[in-house]
Amino acid sequence: MEQRFKYPPSVEDAVSALGDSAVLFAGGTWVMRAPLRDEDCEKTFISLAKIPELHLVSVNDAGVKIGALVTHHALAAISDVPEMTALVQAAGRSANPAIRRMATVGGNICAKDFAAADLVPALLALGAEVEVQSFEGAASLTLEDYLQTRSTRPSTEILTSIHIPRHSGRSAHARGLLRQAGEYPVANVSVYLEPDQNGAINAARIAVGSVESTPKRWHALEAAVSGQPFGRLSISDLAQSLTQEFTPRDGVDAPATYRLRILPRLVAQAFADAMGQLERSA
Amino acid sequence: MGVDFTLNGKPRSFAGDPRTSLLHALRDDFRLTGAKDVCGEGFCGACIIYVDGEPKTSCLLPVGALQGTEITTIEGIGNVDTLNPVQQAFIDFDVVQCGMCFPGMVMTLTHYLKDNPRPSRAEVKAALTGNICRCTGYERIIDAVMSLHNSASGEVRT
Ligand code: FES
Ligand code: FES
Repeated sequence: MEQRFKYPPSVEDAVSALGDSAVLFAGGTWVMRAPLRDEDCEKTFISLAKIPELHLVSVNDAGVKIGALVTHHALAAISDVPEMTALVQAAGRSANPAIRRMATVGGNICAKDFAAADLVPALLALGAEVEVQSFEGAASLTLEDYLQTRSTRPSTEILTSIHIPRHSGRSAHARGLLRQAGEYPVANVSVYLEPDQNGAINAARIAVGSVESTPKRWHALEAAVSGQPFGRLSISDLAQSLTQEFTPRDGVDAPATYRLRILPRLVAQAFADAMGQLERSA
Repeated sequence: MGVDFTLNGKPRSFAGDPRTSLLHALRDDFRLTGAKDVCGEGFCGACIIYVDGEPKTSCLLPVGALQGTEITTIEGIGNVDTLNPVQQAFIDFDVVQCGMCFPGMVMTLTHYLKDNPRPSRAEVKAALTGNICRCTGYERIIDAVMSLHNSASGEVRT
């Protein structure tokens, strides 16, 4: 048991236990499928389950701190942070109830070959930062920077928590599925919108997942909508005109072109949801 | 050293590779074949069991993560004389076809109805998101579930 499944009691101990012959174990929903991906299955599991701080969510005026082991199920139950709706929706609609009880936010971010993560675009839209720990100590960086370096990050680094700064806007998440539920999204979109006093968009963050191999912010669309009055925005036309920002991936679930085709609709759906929330909160 | 847990109320120990999935341990070592080995990916729900009362997919749970937990399988939630109410409703409504998906369905629904005794049809469907049936059209399954709270007393049968 000690040999092939370890339970380090602290993040420092977990970092020391890592290496090429070990793999981090959080919720298990990605690691346990390594055989199906023809990956090396002889690695020792380094479970983070016995490190208490990784299970915590704390909310205060400065922000929301989410431990890496917090499950989708737990995130879906957060009800006191109105601007975080995109994350709550993404967590509550992804996969299926049993998987949501197991799969963690840290795993969703760190599974680098998993293109269809739901939490990642939501966190991008919320401007999240992540904290990582390695032999060099702890460091924080934006999730956007983390994702850009994800494939080359050291195997002895652990993502320990996520930090979301508090905001005054509202957010929403939309998923494009072939069936109604229970599968990976063909594409997903999270938006965060903040109005100014005149009813125009003061700040917008828009993130897209499942279209490329890694979720990313749609900066060109953010720039195009910023300063625009909410009322006269034809968001799906704007999105349509900027889809060349993506190099979509082909997959067994959907061809590349289809992912792009549904994108403008998903953006419009998420915008409508976030704008509705803004109206209701006004 | 093995992994110790409670399985359907009895203390059990597993001495094999702790990375083995609970599903395989249940079926191969404990001879409990109610949880079905279908997709192995967390999509179909045929392998659902409870860990400390919470439904999880046993195909994605390594035994090493279960030290000290209480595991309940379909074999542990009723018996031949007294079926669990969901099982009984499935028989009454003649719901089962090949039966592959049903252990998981019963586990999911039994847990769900505990917290949501009077669900709508749409809510039952949402609860069954992770339980795929290749044979039925689902509607009869929902009919059976609805019967549990549409009974004369309006209560869930227990
Ligand atoms: S076999 Fe576990 S979910 Fe399908
Ligand atoms: S009855 Fe055959 S899979 Fe559901």
